[in-house]
Amino acid sequence: MHKNNNPILLKNIRVIDASQNLDQEMNITIIDGIISYFENSKKKIPFNEKDFRFVNCKDKILSPGIFDLRVYLNETNNENVSILKNAAVNSGVLKMGILPFQKPLLDNPVMIEHLIEKTNFKNDKFFYPYGGATKELQGNEIAELGLMAEVGAIGFTDAPNCIQDSLVMRRVMSYAKMLEKPILQNPEDKSLAGLTASNSTTIQGEMNEGEVSTRLGLVGIPSCAEVMIVERDLRLAELTGVHYHVSNVSTKETIEVIMRAKLNGIKITCDTSPPYFSLNELELSTYDTSFKLSPPLRNEKDRIAVQNAIFDGTIDIITSDHKSMSNDTKILPFTSASTGASGIETLLPLTLNLLNKSDVSIMNILKKITLNPSKLLKVEIPKIRSNEKANFIIFDPNEQYLINKNLLQTSPTPFHGRPVQGKNYMSMINGEIVFDNFDLL
Amino acid sequence: MNKIHKINKNSPPIASLNSKNLLSIEGMNKLEINSLLDRADYFADLDPLKIIKTLNGYVILNVFFENSTRTRVSFELAGRRLGAEVINISVDKSSIKKGESLLDTANTLSAMKPNLLIVRHPESGAPKLFSDYLNCSIVNAGDGRHEHPTQALLDALTIRRRLGRIEGLKIAICGDILNSRVARSNIHLLTTLGVEVRCIAPPTLMPKGLENLGVNCFNSLKDGINNVNAIMLLRLQNERMSGTESPSKREYYRFYGLDEEKLRMAHHEAVIMHPGPMNRGVEIASSLADNEDRSLIKTQVEIGVAIRMATIEAVYNAQK
Repeated sequence: MHKNNNPILLKNIRVIDASQNLDQEMNITIIDGIISYFENSKKKIPFNEKDFRFVNCKDKILSPGIFDLRVYLNETNNENVSILKNAAVNSGVLKMGILPFQKPLLDNPVMIEHLIEKTNFKNDKFFYPYGGATKELQGNEIAELGLMAEVGAIGFTDAPNCIQDSLVMRRVMSYAKMLEKPILQNPEDKSLAGLTASNSTTIQGEMNEGEVSTRLGLVGIPSCAEVMIVERDLRLAELTGVHYHVSNVSTKETIEVIMRAKLNGIKITCDTSPPYFSLNELELSTYDTSFKLSPPLRNEKDRIAVQNAIFDGTIDIITSDHKSMSNDTKILPFTSASTGASGIETLLPLTLNLLNKSDVSIMNILKKITLNPSKLLKVEIPKIRSNEKANFIIFDPNEQYLINKNLLQTSPTPFHGRPVQGKNYMSMINGEIVFDNFDLL
Repeated sequence: MNKIHKINKNSPPIASLNSKNLLSIEGMNKLEINSLLDRADYFADLDPLKIIKTLNGYVILNVFFENSTRTRVSFELAGRRLGAEVINISVDKSSIKKGESLLDTANTLSAMKPNLLIVRHPESGAPKLFSDYLNCSIVNAGDGRHEHPTQALLDALTIRRRLGRIEGLKIAICGDILNSRVARSNIHLLTTLGVEVRCIAPPTLMPKGLENLGVNCFNSLKDGINNVNAIMLLRLQNERMSGTESPSKREYYRFYGLDEEKLRMAHHEAVIMHPGPMNRGVEIASSLADNEDRSLIKTQVEIGVAIRMATIEAVYNAQK
C-alpha cells in the first residue's frame, strides 16, 4: 500500500458519478486527502501546478469505488481477509457485501459483529456482512434476523443455498420486511436440480441440461429450476411486501418473469455476474472445470437474454459472485471438482466489456456496480465533490490486455486468456491512496 | 451356424488413428473407425498362437477405478496376445478417499513410464483429464455417463460380420440411455457410419437434446423397433428399477423388455445385442437371450478382444 500525502493534481479526468448524474471532464486537486479543487477542465487552473504531484488523467475515468454486492469470504490457505482486501482495492472494489457462507457461518449476531470489527479498513467500512436467513443456512429454522440487523447485517440470504421451503421463506420474508432489509435468494429448485440426497442415489446436477450435457454424459440441471423458485417467491414477496432480490439471474425465463413483476410494481431487484453474460455452456465441452459454476452456464440464448437485460435495466446490479478456492479443487474430474470461481479482480474489465456490445452509456453500466448496490443495501457512498474525503477509483476504460490467471491474486478464474479492456489505476479510501499504479507509467 | 461376412479378405494394415489417445468416438471420422473395424475383423479370425507379438516390452496399465471383469480381462488378453506387458491396477474408492487426488495417482503411475493407460472411471471426462496431464497414451475403457468407445466398436464389428454391412441399416438402442456411456458411443459411431439410429427409452431415462445427435427418439418400444435390423439393449442399473426413474421391474419389462412378441415388429432377421451383464426378465426375455439365431451377446464378448487388439496396436502406432 502506498503512503502518499503530497497534494495531487488530477488533470483532464472524466468524472462519472451516477449519484449526482455527473459526467464531465474535470481538473481535481486532493490536499490532505480532501478533494479541494473540483472544476470543469476548461476552466483555467488558479494555482501553481508545480506544487502538486501531477497525474495526467487524459482518457481516464474517476468514479466511486465498486460496491461488489455478493462476495464469499473464504478463509482458506488460498485467501484471507488481507488477500481479499488487497485484490479488491487493486481491482477497484472498495466495498463489498459478504455472504454468510463461510466458516464459521454468519448466521448469528456474534459472528456478524466480529466480522465488522475485524474488517474495518482505513476507518471505513469495507465489508458489509449479510446475515444467514436460516440457522446454519439449512433452510429449516429462521435465524436471529433482528439481532443480526441490530449489529449491522445489511440483508439476509442463505446463499449459495436456496430456501426451498415455502413456509420458511414466507416467514423469513415477513421478518426481513419488518426489519426493512432485503432478502436475497439464489434461486434453484434443489430436487429438480438433483441436489437433494433423498430422492436419488446417483443423480446430481452438474451443468445446464441440454444437448451439451447429453454429449458429455454430465447430469443436467434444467434451466426452469431457476424460474420456478422466482415465481413462487414473487407470490410470497407480494404477500409480505419485502424487498426481494434475485441473485445470479442466468436464464431468459427468469428475466421475463422479473420484467413482468417489475411492471406490476412488486419490490424486486436482481443481479447477475460476468460468467452469465460472457460465457455459455459450450465452454464445458472439454470438461474444463473452471467453468463449473452455480448456477451452471446456460445456453447462448440465455446469455444474450442476460446481456440484454443488463442494457434494458431489468438486471439492476452486476456482482462478482466471488468464491475463491484453491486451484487444486479444480484439477479433478468434473463431478468431483469444486463449484464456483473467483471474480473480484475481473469484475471491472468484464463489466466494461459490455460497452462494446451496445451503445449503452458508460454511466449506466457503472451504476450497476456502484450506485445500485448501495441503494439496495441502503449504504451511503461518499459523493465525489469538493470538501469531501477522496473516495474513488481511477481507471482506464480502454486499456486492452489478456486476463492471466498467474497474475491474479485469487483463483480459480474461468476467464484465463480472454481479451478484456479496462484497468484500475488508483484507489482511494477516506483520503488515502490504497492502490496506485500511476507510478508504473 | 450363421455365416460370417468379411468385408476385407486380405490382411488389412494397422488401423490408423489421428490421435495417440482413444477417448471418445465423438470426433472420430469414418476412416479411423473403419480401419479399426477392418483390422479387428482380421484379428478375430486369427489363431492366437499365430499372432506375431509385435508389442514386446510395451507396458500397459489397466487402471480401473470402477469394478469390471469383462472389459478388464478383454483388454488384458488383447494386450498379451500382442506381446505387451499388462498390469492390472484396481484403484478402489478407499485409496482415493485417503486423500490422493486422481492426478497424483495418475502421476505416480506415469512415473513408472508405462506406454499406455487403459482407464475406466465412474466420472465423465476423467480419461480426458489424464490425457491433459500425462505423456503416455490413454484409452478410455468407460467414463461415467460419457463414452465407452471400444464397446461401440465391437458392437459395430459384431453387426458387420453378421449382417454384412453397417451403412444403411436401421438400428435401435433401447433402455437407460440417460445414464449409458455405451449408448452415447454407439450413437456417435453408428450415425458416423450412416446408420438410421433409433433411441428407445421411457421419458425418465431419455436425455434432453438427444435428437440433436442425429437420432430419432421413441418412448414406445414397438414403434421404435419397427423394421430395425438390430436391437441393442442397455442394462438397467438395479438402483434405477424402482423409484422415480422406473416404477418397477415388471412394469419396465412389460413396456421395454424385449420378448418374442415385441421382436416380431423388427425386421425378420433382426439381431439382438447387449453389452452385459444383462438382467434376464427385465431388459430381455431369457429365451431370447439364449436364442443363438438372434442373440449376438456371446459374439460381442468374443469380438471385444479383437477390437481391443486393434485399438492397442493403433495407439502404439500413433505414438511412433
